[in-house]
Amino acid sequence: MDSQESIGRFGYRQELRRGVGLTDLVFYGLIFMVPIAPFAIFGLVYERSGGMPVLAYLVGMIALLFTAASYAQMVRAFPLSGSVYNYAGRGIAAPVGFMTGWAILLDYLLVPSLLYLIASIAMNASIPQVPVWAWLLVFVAINTVINLRGIRMTIKLTKVMIVAELAVLALFLLAGLWALLNGAGRGFSLSPLFNPDTFSWPIMFAAVSVAVLSFLGFDGISMLVEESTGGSEQVGRAMRLALILAGVLFVTQVWVAALLAPEPLNSSTAFYDAAAVAGGEWLRHLTTTATAISWGVANTLVAQVAVSRLLYAMARDRQLPAFLGRISVRNSVPANAILLVSALSVGIGLWMSSIDGGADLLASLINMGALVAFVVLHVSVIVHYTVRLKSANRWAHLVAPLVGMAILIFVVINANILAQVVGLAWLGVGAIVLAVLYAAGRRPTLRDAAKEPA
Amino acid sequence: MTGQRLHHDLFLIAHDKSGKPLAHRSATSLALAGAVLIDLVLAGRVSLTGGPAVVVGRSATGDAVTDGLLTLIAGDRLGHDAPYWIRTLAEQDVHDRTREALVAAGLLVPVTRRRLGMLPYLRHEPADIALLVRASAGVRSAAEGRKSPDARSAALCGLMAVLQIERALYLGLPSLNERLRALATGHSPLVKELIGMVDTLVGEAAVAVYR
Repeated sequence: MDSQESIGRFGYRQELRRGVGLTDLVFYGLIFMVPIAPFAIFGLVYERSGGMPVLAYLVGMIALLFTAASYAQMVRAFPLSGSVYNYAGRGIAAPVGFMTGWAILLDYLLVPSLLYLIASIAMNASIPQVPVWAWLLVFVAINTVINLRGIRMTIKLTKVMIVAELAVLALFLLAGLWALLNGAGRGFSLSPLFNPDTFSWPIMFAAVSVAVLSFLGFDGISMLVEESTGGSEQVGRAMRLALILAGVLFVTQVWVAALLAPEPLNSSTAFYDAAAVAGGEWLRHLTTTATAISWGVANTLVAQVAVSRLLYAMARDRQLPAFLGRISVRNSVPANAILLVSALSVGIGLWMSSIDGGADLLASLINMGALVAFVVLHVSVIVHYTVRLKSANRWAHLVAPLVGMAILIFVVINANILAQVVGLAWLGVGAIVLAVLYAAGRRPTLRDAAKEPA
Repeated sequence: MTGQRLHHDLFLIAHDKSGKPLAHRSATSLALAGAVLIDLVLAGRVSLTGGPAVVVGRSATGDAVTDGLLTLIAGDRLGHDAPYWIRTLAEQDVHDRTREALVAAGLLVPVTRRRLGMLPYLRHEPADIALLVRASAGVRSAAEGRKSPDARSAALCGLMAVLQIERALYLGLPSLNERLRALATGHSPLVKELIGMVDTLVGEAAVAVYR
């Protein structure tokens, strides 16, 4: 079936340019995940995992490889740009799609706040004279102006950013390995991978609940399905490749950092402290600046587009207020969505910067939204293929989603308690909104070619 | 010439008297491409009945952009629909090709200016300010309620509403964007459908990952 035709089945037309190849998709996933993402949250993962951040990242990667497999199945069934909201809505039912969209909305709305906060903490570590809140306001202002002016990441700029981040990572690894060879830190050890003295599954899954943050964004690749030169097959392959590449990079950098991080550990600056041990103050400044630019500018640009697309898609399907679906044609941007996200980022970012463990809580909340949505994604595969289509492919359409779902549920159960409470409250609000939509006669529907003219 | 081609009129209206664009280039390109297709559909040269665009008749129109699109549609074997052709034409530099056609016809004049007295840049000004007035005359009289719009003016109302460039009319009427949109959608199902396509494409372009 022609991809145009397959999209047409769902009442949408092929509206985006096809011209994004496999490498571009993988690079997009990597810029969204940030190859040096563990720089910012290494300390948290190290603390939560009982000194085994490598194992936490490995388990996280395996869990999300199952998620990527389910994404690939749903992208194949419904080759539409959008998000898990689309797949759950079409794979199970429109109200489930709404609730899943609502869950992932928590993730998408909070991600920019976290990106700004992490970038601000990194800059504050480098220039302590400027407080975190001031850095945060600067980052939000810069990004809001860039976004409202309609400036986007280009494929070329994405590649330049990836290369720059990889160059910083290579410098850290070379300096770190050289320092270890010269007796710095704790020397080579397997303890960051497995330490029988501290290991327990609840501890490990609690650490995974933070570590998965570094991988979030791989799912953003699914948004490019309509632009992908190889369609849904290529998107599935790109997700797997991006996850494995990121996993290898993450495992390597946290292993070296874990061997170098000085005790007692400062969870906010642990990676930068390890970089200082490895190469001196210049490497600390280089890693903090790289974190600030990659989280506070590059990643925020793609995150802003991602949240705008979700808000636009949900508003277009009349599941969010119409003003979020309006665009400013002058600069060709969804101005209302950008301003809403910027205002939220300032409010939440300033609040979280003022409380102890704010970044940790924000990360946990984001992961909670994403993990709940991923669990529903696995359910969508089972419902759509095994229940509805009676698929005989038991591994891909039943066993793999069940295994992926089980791992994610363990992660959710062992996550930050406050994040669980807030996550549940958020879902509760979503249920109320859904009830109001039903009461107002605006029950969630997804565009369907059979029901409305194309 | 003006008043003959919808995309020519739209190009003139979508730029101010100094040649400065009033909307983003990607959105303007999509609207111009939509205007070319709408002109062809309204003239009965392209049929959209049943989904895929189909060329009716073989004669050329005399406009390079329009004839280029007719050739593309006539040679299409996959049965692509209207939004595909609008997007394709927008990507084929419809903006600059339309501008060049207007320059060649003497309706636009290239003018070089300097930013801060130093950095040179090129703009294309209307040769006569009356061209802008004439291009938007149908829309203006429809918006003021003086005359019911024909299909062409209704489509131009819709395209202006999609591009949010109603300020170019200098009418000072409240809710002018909504009024223009209503004039387009209320004219006929065909105009409503075509404007809806352009509107959706402009919206999608605004949230596209890469431009």
